[in-house]
Amino acid sequence: MSTSRLIITRSILKLAKQPTAPIMGFAMSLFFLLVYNAGIGGIGHLEAFGEKGYLAFVFPITIISLAMGSSAGAGQTLNADMQSGYFRRLYLSPVSRRMLVIAPMLADTFSSLFFTGIILAIGALFGLPFQFGLLSVAGILLLSLLWALTLCGFSAGIMLRTGQHQSAAIITNAVFPLLFLSTTFLPRELITSQWLLTVSWANPVTYVLEANRFLLGGTSTYEFFLSGLLILTITALSSTAFALGSTKRIKV
Amino acid sequence: MIAEILFKNITKKYPKGPEALKGIDLEVGKGELFTLLGPNGAGKSTLVKIATTLTEKDSGEFSIAGNDPGKDFTTIRRTIGVALQENELDPSETVENLLRFQCRLFGLSKDQAQQRADELIRAFELETERLKKCETLSGGNKRRLHCALALVHRPGVLFLDEPTVGMDPEARARFWQVITHLNKTEGVTVFLTTQYLEEADKHATQMALIMGGTIHYRGSVTEFKKMVNSGEQLTLEESYLAFMTQSHQPDFATN
Repeated sequence: MSTSRLIITRSILKLAKQPTAPIMGFAMSLFFLLVYNAGIGGIGHLEAFGEKGYLAFVFPITIISLAMGSSAGAGQTLNADMQSGYFRRLYLSPVSRRMLVIAPMLADTFSSLFFTGIILAIGALFGLPFQFGLLSVAGILLLSLLWALTLCGFSAGIMLRTGQHQSAAIITNAVFPLLFLSTTFLPRELITSQWLLTVSWANPVTYVLEANRFLLGGTSTYEFFLSGLLILTITALSSTAFALGSTKRIKV
Repeated sequence: MIAEILFKNITKKYPKGPEALKGIDLEVGKGELFTLLGPNGAGKSTLVKIATTLTEKDSGEFSIAGNDPGKDFTTIRRTIGVALQENELDPSETVENLLRFQCRLFGLSKDQAQQRADELIRAFELETERLKKCETLSGGNKRRLHCALALVHRPGVLFLDEPTVGMDPEARARFWQVITHLNKTEGVTVFLTTQYLEEADKHATQMALIMGGTIHYRGSVTEFKKMVNSGEQLTLEESYLAFMTQSHQPDFATN
């Protein structure tokens, strides 16, 4: 087995053996989904939410928060190795530095994707609509893969550059307010504040939410889907490049 | 002397920090058991970090066994074994698994990895800890495993930075038995930094003294003692302390 495969396999097995963070993130997302749907689901009867109701509208936020609250947001695999000092032992082995960063990113992304699959299945049980059937499922998984990669890459890069495992939280802390400056709970038509409307247009999270809504209830447009996909592709590539670039500045 | 480790005019300055190394010239011969001594902040750890590819130098040349780490860090990492001050263990893995995995990272097959892990477990007397997770080990046993991990690939050059900190006297004796055996029978070059000067006195034959980022002495341990004590029979620790006292005299810097 090549050293790259060894490192990737190890990262995935580590996460499988210590799944507390991804499970907590998943539980939190599920909790939000149930609470939002039960508490304010009634407003889904308003015309602005479309025919498919509030579940299809609010569901994308559970997918976004899933990656933030789980391993991806924390860069958990890399975080654990840095915390124990074992990362330095790996760094002193002949394994390529890039692989030392890519392997934990892949593990965290796979974990996020796995739990997205589960939460989609639970959503389906609750009557979540999929506008384009399996294509919608594939599209949502692709969007969440890119989102998880975005969070993982920036978290990993910052940890490596600062040498501080605690700094992984910077990314989730930075993204968290963006969730509330978007069309998370209400469609644009029902947002009365002009400044919030303006900010939501400039907020990339809006496009990611709308892209998911296009695939679920069809309440958004194809253009939003393309914009969301493009934005996430750019951020995922940028964050991967940032993480890989950080291998030259690793503080161990 | 064939230089196994070669530093030529190495400088290093940390951002917003002091100049840690001010043009270090140092050669360590193949098969030497060499110790680098100096007070805290003298530049010992920085030099070890440069030698082990953990930190980049600002300028100068450096090679290990003729290889330039700037050009081929993979070869360097296959050549050196490193045990630094802090333990680098995966807390959730067992002693045996961690050793086996480390062997695999250095290209050993599954069978070879098992064989090498067994050898090291025996050599460092970790038999009863074999199946225990690292997080449950005592401080001394963690240290033993940490050192064992540095040896999985039979390195030709060993960098040991305060290797016996936290070990009980018995474990230290066993550790030195392993290291001196490697040095004498397999010709492994050992580059040691330690604050336990009695260990350096007992095991090292060659030494250098670094202060303020420059080398103040390079030679044999015996010659150093003679130089400082002018004939008196003192230990390395006593000689070192005497040297440090002299170096703080006002006329030391001008001589």
